[in-house]
Amino acid sequence: MQIIENLKVKEKLYLEKLENGLAVMIIPKPGIQKKYMIWGTNYGSNDSEFVVPGEKENTVVPMGVAHFLEHKLFEQENGTNSLDVLTSLGVEANAYTTNDHTAYLFECTDNFYEAMDELMDYVQHPYFTDENVEKEKGIIGQEIMMYDDYPEWRVYLNAMSAMYHNHPVKLDITGTIETISHIDKDVLYRCYKTFYNPSNMTLVICGDFEPEKILEEVKKRLIDTKASGEIKRIYPQEPENIVQPKIEQKLEVSQPLYTIGIKDKREIDVQKSEIVKKHICIEILLDMIIGKSSNLYKQLYNDGIIYSTPSLDYEFAKDYAHVLVSGQSNNPELVLEKFKEEIKNLKQNGVSEDALSRIKKKIYGGYIKEYNDVADISRMFLADYFKGICSFDYLEEIEGINVEYIEQVLKDVFKEEKMVISIVRN
Amino acid sequence: MQYKQEEIKKGIKLHLLKTDKFKTNIIAVFLTTKLDRNTVTENALISAILRRGSKNMPTQERISVEMEEMYGASFDCGLDKTGDNQVLKFYIETINDKFIPNKNEGILENSLNKILEIVFDPFLENGVFKKEYVEQEKVNMKHRIEGKIDNKARYALDRTIEEMYKEEPFGLYKYGYVEDLEKIDNVELYEKYKQLISKCKIDIFVSGSIEDTTKNTIFENENIKKIGQREADYIVPEITKKDLQEEKNITESMEVTQGKLILGLDVNLNDEKQKYATLVYNNILGGSANSKIFQNVREKAHLAYAANSSYMRFKNNIFISCGIEITNYEKALGLIREQLEQMKNGDFSEQDIEEAKKGIVATIKTIDDEQDTQITYYFAQELSQDTITVEEYEQKIKDVKKEEIVNIANNTQINTIYFLRD
Repeated sequence: MQIIENLKVKEKLYLEKLENGLAVMIIPKPGIQKKYMIWGTNYGSNDSEFVVPGEKENTVVPMGVAHFLEHKLFEQENGTNSLDVLTSLGVEANAYTTNDHTAYLFECTDNFYEAMDELMDYVQHPYFTDENVEKEKGIIGQEIMMYDDYPEWRVYLNAMSAMYHNHPVKLDITGTIETISHIDKDVLYRCYKTFYNPSNMTLVICGDFEPEKILEEVKKRLIDTKASGEIKRIYPQEPENIVQPKIEQKLEVSQPLYTIGIKDKREIDVQKSEIVKKHICIEILLDMIIGKSSNLYKQLYNDGIIYSTPSLDYEFAKDYAHVLVSGQSNNPELVLEKFKEEIKNLKQNGVSEDALSRIKKKIYGGYIKEYNDVADISRMFLADYFKGICSFDYLEEIEGINVEYIEQVLKDVFKEEKMVISIVRN
Repeated sequence: MQYKQEEIKKGIKLHLLKTDKFKTNIIAVFLTTKLDRNTVTENALISAILRRGSKNMPTQERISVEMEEMYGASFDCGLDKTGDNQVLKFYIETINDKFIPNKNEGILENSLNKILEIVFDPFLENGVFKKEYVEQEKVNMKHRIEGKIDNKARYALDRTIEEMYKEEPFGLYKYGYVEDLEKIDNVELYEKYKQLISKCKIDIFVSGSIEDTTKNTIFENENIKKIGQREADYIVPEITKKDLQEEKNITESMEVTQGKLILGLDVNLNDEKQKYATLVYNNILGGSANSKIFQNVREKAHLAYAANSSYMRFKNNIFISCGIEITNYEKALGLIREQLEQMKNGDFSEQDIEEAKKGIVATIKTIDDEQDTQITYYFAQELSQDTITVEEYEQKIKDVKKEEIVNIANNTQINTIYFLRD
């Protein structure tokens, strides 16, 4: 096993790539009662067109299959539901789907191995029938409608559709009531066989474990599967420009919600340290521009334009990337205008050494805090792994970030012509 | 983990939670006072004003800069309704000195002094709160109060509680009321602040790698020295008899795609000890994926994605909530009623009970692994003047018998059925 130790946060990662292609990551947490296991496949809502290994033709499936599969995987041939079985063991089990991965997990204090039996069994044994697929459409339909009532989700998704012409990242992870109506058991089996091959999956365990021993426990529970070849994923050609600078939706809210998006491009084949450094730089820049200690925040807050710090994000996967600034304001257009102005000023005046060293401290502290909870740690390592990153890299790369580097990122990413604003208001 | 508490002065208590499990230290200051229609809005406003500035950090940017310098200490405040009390909460979370590249920065001590300054030595202009800050926060608070409609599921629950506790403190909205805001000015608000600080219950929690000097830092702190002892003015939660009421039915409309159904239940207890049985009752009813409500409303009838119940122990209410197609209202309500009847008839197995207990025990066991949960747990004990260790708590759950659960079921009735639709 490969051992990666980080002296800053004082944690170790044990990494093993098994013969069948499965990556296993173990982060020991001595003295902690909580134990966490998560098993993910590098398959999310964006993967709706692909070539099954060994085939020549493209396969196209309806939007929402990855998420539908996540719901259905719990169903077992003997009539039980694995979520019920896990719950009856007293463990907290769940699953989720993102744009680029799907994950199954549980957290517990007792009955870890019994729960591990169940989790590893159900993820490796799909059981779909016409009847159980139909039934799920009602439940997922309600999940879709629930999201329709979240103004935060609407404003986010609208911002995506203002940025992206074709890329599926702009669509609902769940699909729509219409797209899921086309899902049947054959589609589910086909996607399962393609993406749930061990070579496309990663398993993370965090808790008070002996790494070698727990790795053996994982191996014991794996069914005999050969690594499949590479799955070719087809994403539509996405132009670099945005679709439209502004998008609005009417919903019953007390004050308008806004999301400012900046479409970024992902350079293919850059080194992973560059990806991490760029991510850190964007976090720093967002803090400098509109973070809690910034001039702009102070001004907007004192003028009663915004009432709390906006949430600041940089989302990226292998083939897309964007910056997001979201919050509530009585005048979102003004927020955008001032945001643009502040960026212009920063470009003109340059980044100050003092501010940089202070914000770096802040961000470093934030990274350390992410290592408190077994669940947070596991999910972070899983998500980063699918992006080709080791989470420890953030702690290591931050030190080397200097004014020149950050000013370059400011110039490359924070471009006015790449900005959109999405607003939800009454 | 070692838990120690010590009275600093009458009505002011220090709680030390010494643990090496975390990368972080958390300091929390809680000000607890009676919920009252006359003071609820001004207290909410006070909590907002205090984060605007303190004596040596006169602006919120200054506070933020100081926090950033302390390796991203996060300063936060919140407002809670705990039983019939309003609790103003202030937190600072910092990383342990162990994880800081340049050692000996003394972040714990520094952040202790900072938070005590923010709460007890606010920024003043001409001896009162700064007018500009108060006026700005009045506008902000108005937005926050009006913002309660934005999260529809949360709004439905808030409305249910409001209807169940009409004319009672617990029915008050924790951020207060827009019509009160106009009447408040900076001079008066500062007076109210002084009154609050002189009579509220004060609890200071420090959790993390506590040093021997930590206690002294607090006892020697100028701001702590300056505040006096008090007969803390708060309500110790206790069991009250709930009158049998006719079911209230409330339907309201808003622009929603999905209907939000909430049932507010009254649980009639005679004794604090019955709370453990109520926890098990709630878990079987709607507290887990195996529960009757989740299984019947979601898995069998496919009426909902979210369907669950939760127990609010300070007031002895259970809230059942689900998001459903608007036309399925009768159907969902019928199913829920059926589950409540089954509970009354003891129509659940020993296995159901065992599984529910396992789920609850697992949650109890993780208390010590989560720093903020730990603080919440000990604070709840402090308020209810109940001292029970995590191990005892676990045992009490394990000891619950089926007849006790059935008894709870038969002393539980629907108070209000609330439906938010289009």
